[in-house]
Amino acid sequence: MAGRQPAESKDSTSLVDRVERIRFLGREFLTWLWFESETHDGKVQAGDLGEVSVEFQKRLSLDSAGNVPEVNLVRAEDPTATEESRVALKMGKKVGETRIVLHAADHDFQLALAGETLQIKGVKLPTALATEDGDKLAERLDLLDEVEGLVDTIYARFVRMRMNEQTWAPVRRELRAWVERGGDRD
Amino acid sequence: MALLNGTATYTRFRLLGDLPDGFEERFVGALERHAFKEIDPDADVERHLGWVRWGDAFDSSWEPHTLVNGDGVMVLTLRIDTLKVPPVTLKAYVAQAEREMRRKLSRERLTKPERDMLRIEVQKKLRRRSLPKMQLVEVVANLSTGEARLFSSSKRVVADFQDLFHKTFGLRAIGSNPLTVLWGQGFSDLDQDQVIGLEPERFHQVPE
Repeated sequence: MAGRQPAESKDSTSLVDRVERIRFLGREFLTWLWFESETHDGKVQAGDLGEVSVEFQKRLSLDSAGNVPEVNLVRAEDPTATEESRVALKMGKKVGETRIVLHAADHDFQLALAGETLQIKGVKLPTALATEDGDKLAERLDLLDEVEGLVDTIYARFVRMRMNEQTWAPVRRELRAWVERGGDRD
Repeated sequence: MALLNGTATYTRFRLLGDLPDGFEERFVGALERHAFKEIDPDADVERHLGWVRWGDAFDSSWEPHTLVNGDGVMVLTLRIDTLKVPPVTLKAYVAQAEREMRRKLSRERLTKPERDMLRIEVQKKLRRRSLPKMQLVEVVANLSTGEARLFSSSKRVVADFQDLFHKTFGLRAIGSNPLTVLWGQGFSDLDQDQVIGLEPERFHQVPE
């Protein structure tokens, strides 16, 4: 199978340890996604897949780290525009889960994303054109591949930047300044 | 069927393990061994699960040449049946049976063994009259990319799926997480080690 685990992670104990070690990256990714889209007119680069527009919608949870995390759950048409979400960021919370709309070149996808697992939840797919079950199945699976491909590619772009201090340092600086000034709302 | 209509709620997995030579033949045999079997109402089992064909809850037959399509995709359904008499219903019927038995024996009380036996008999009778609650959960495994999707987010169903998938195919299904997503994104072993070494970042200013 392609895209499989590296050889050394076949040991289940070490794999569990490795996964737990970087669970925080998912929450950092979702927070960076908010920053990136807000500071680039809602646009985010998805590598070879091109540019996508990202819109945060209806539901946003912001969590603190630690053994007893505090959670702010913001429900609003545009939850990123609320004072509560901005204050939570300033307090050091990061995005734990959110609903977003991805406007890609050919399709729009509504989905929820969980930071801890990067599981994609409740995807509203574009209406399938096919009517026969087999064709409809293939079409829906292609759409799921497309939306997962977009999310995974943007996440991989974030991680590549995050793991290199030279590329990450300026982003860290801008991100902290953005949090401090309460975002770039119009 | 969630795969064909409406909002897609599912759980993503990465598959760990190697595909044996001639895996299609082996997989068909394994699927038949772990195929869904109806619950026997006389037995003491409340929940049964196993594989059925996608699109037909009553068909557990597969062919090696059609099991996996040209893109390496295998579509199955996990059928989970639960046959359980609701506690309130059971209690009412047991009480009724006890009244009848007391009248028949012309006694005011029944012994504990008599009451226990009666309860088991009533439960069996009610189970024979009941239809199991059927849950059909679709599974799509891509054996070329090493990914799988289970169209449920229930923790219990996810655990059942991981267990049965491993028993059936010898492949472990690991729920999506910030590490496994990188496996499909060209991160080398060295890159991954570097990622594992990262420390959490602070995004807010700390007052001096």
